[in-house]
Amino acid sequence: MGIKIVPRHGKSLKDKLYLPAIAGGMKTTFKHFVKNLKDTSNLRTMSYPEVQPDDLSERYRGVHRLTKWDDGSEKCVACYMCATACPADCIFIDAQERFDGVAEKRPKQFKIDLLECVYCGYCVEACPCDAIRMDTGIFSFTGSTREEFVVDKDYLMSNERSKDLNDD
Amino acid sequence: MTTVSLVVIIINIHIALILATGMTPILVWWERRVAGFIQDRAGPNRCNIGPIRLGGLIQSIADMLKLVFKEDFMPSHIRYKFFFTLAPVLLFFCIFLTFGVIPFADDLIIDNQSHMMQALPMGLGIMWFLAFAGLSTYGIILGGYSSGSKYGILSSIRATAQVISYEAAMALSVISMILTYGSIHLGDMVVAQGELLFGFIPAWGVFLQPLAALIFIVTAFAEANRAPFDLAEGESEIVAGYHTEYSAMRFGLFQVGELAALCAASAIIVTLFFGGYQIPWLDTQTLKSNIDYVMIAIMILVPIKIFILTSWMKKNNNWEDASDIRAKETGILNKVFWTIGILTIALFAWFLSTGLSQNGVAITVAVLQVLTFIIKFFLVALVFIWIRWTLLRFRYDQLQMLGWKVLLPLSLLNIVITATYIVVTGS
Repeated sequence: MGIKIVPRHGKSLKDKLYLPAIAGGMKTTFKHFVKNLKDTSNLRTMSYPEVQPDDLSERYRGVHRLTKWDDGSEKCVACYMCATACPADCIFIDAQERFDGVAEKRPKQFKIDLLECVYCGYCVEACPCDAIRMDTGIFSFTGSTREEFVVDKDYLMSNERSKDLNDD
Repeated sequence: MTTVSLVVIIINIHIALILATGMTPILVWWERRVAGFIQDRAGPNRCNIGPIRLGGLIQSIADMLKLVFKEDFMPSHIRYKFFFTLAPVLLFFCIFLTFGVIPFADDLIIDNQSHMMQALPMGLGIMWFLAFAGLSTYGIILGGYSSGSKYGILSSIRATAQVISYEAAMALSVISMILTYGSIHLGDMVVAQGELLFGFIPAWGVFLQPLAALIFIVTAFAEANRAPFDLAEGESEIVAGYHTEYSAMRFGLFQVGELAALCAASAIIVTLFFGGYQIPWLDTQTLKSNIDYVMIAIMILVPIKIFILTSWMKKNNNWEDASDIRAKETGILNKVFWTIGILTIALFAWFLSTGLSQNGVAITVAVLQVLTFIIKFFLVALVFIWIRWTLLRFRYDQLQMLGWKVLLPLSLLNIVITATYIVVTGS
């Protein structure tokens, strides 16, 4: 293993004068300023509510959704695995018997408190049936009361996979 | 005192007032947008009154309203409430007074009577500026001290030490300027800068005394408490420094004072080193004798400028959503600017056709010089903002090192050189 000797700066006259370095820095910032002033489309930001981000990654964890069978019924079997894995204790499930032969149980109600949720994705990992997912790409969920943030089964089942992501 | 001189003084006080306080929203806006553009982001540009955004200028008005209507909270541990309230007032008032001696135009001659174009018509000049610029720091010191918090006191100590070390170099660099011009009256200095050096360079202070200009600009940054010398509000170590305990309009007054200090510093830099109100190569006498050509030149230049501005707006001042009311702004502003342009041309055409009287020529020249001063003033203010978003804050010991070991000896050297030159050449 060789030793790399890092050169020390600040001893030469040019470094000690300090002004050339200032001029260099000011040149850089001025270039950016002029470039952006001439054409604001050079800015790296987007004007957010009008332009939505379209570069969500495959692993981005947005608001949850409950996946469905082809006939529109829920895949969830109310096994409580997600509620058990949840570190924030934000999933509330009421189980009920299911009679159509697809599974033995179904959730009567399935609520998630999005204010408590830490978006860790453990529920998605824990689910044995691929019934809960976080691929909706919804990153801004707004409401004016605390109650609005407790989302129910209907809402979770109405969410779809984000259009920006590839089909799985 | 005649009516004319009274009117001139009132107008001058208003110019000083506009430059000291009226510039605050504009400079806040500039600061944010320039910072944004330098860092490749947009900065505030959404706030609107109806369709009008003015590129984000409305945001600073909204901020001002917010500060006015906020609760004026005073922490219960503050013992000397009078000093606590006095501090921002002192800061602002002293800085505002420094504007009193800055000449906005050459002496206005109406009916063979000369009027100084200064808010305070007196010849104290640079001495008045130094006195009140120095005193304004007491606002910061008093504010930090009377806050009764450790952050405030640390900030006050820093401000004090900084003022002591930088004011010396500043005053010494000013002495070399006084030696060069042979007067402390800023009006005389600006008149001297209207001449030409070697026949083609304007005899601006920055060309005559580059070293003094550099020292003065650096110390003016320290005096105005701007980056890279804004140690008094080093938010990484001492929260917000001297204005930690302030809120609402008391804080707002500190903010206004800080920006007014920037304005004062740029005004004095323009006056001392960049020719003040002088239009390069056109001194007052030339302007007066060639007023017709000057007016024709303006009539040609104004539409060109407006065309550049409107085409820039068409390209860059757009709103994504065409149904939003803010999308209509560019169209409205286009009409407003072209109306202003056409009115200006019509005014000058009327002047040209009827011919100006002696007083009319004097007033037109004065207006042109005030506008020139304001343009230069804005450019220097832009440099202040630009430097703030480029340079890092100095470390405290480096700051003192720079002040005592570099700037002070350099300014002394500069005085020696200047004095020797003056003695040898006799001018």
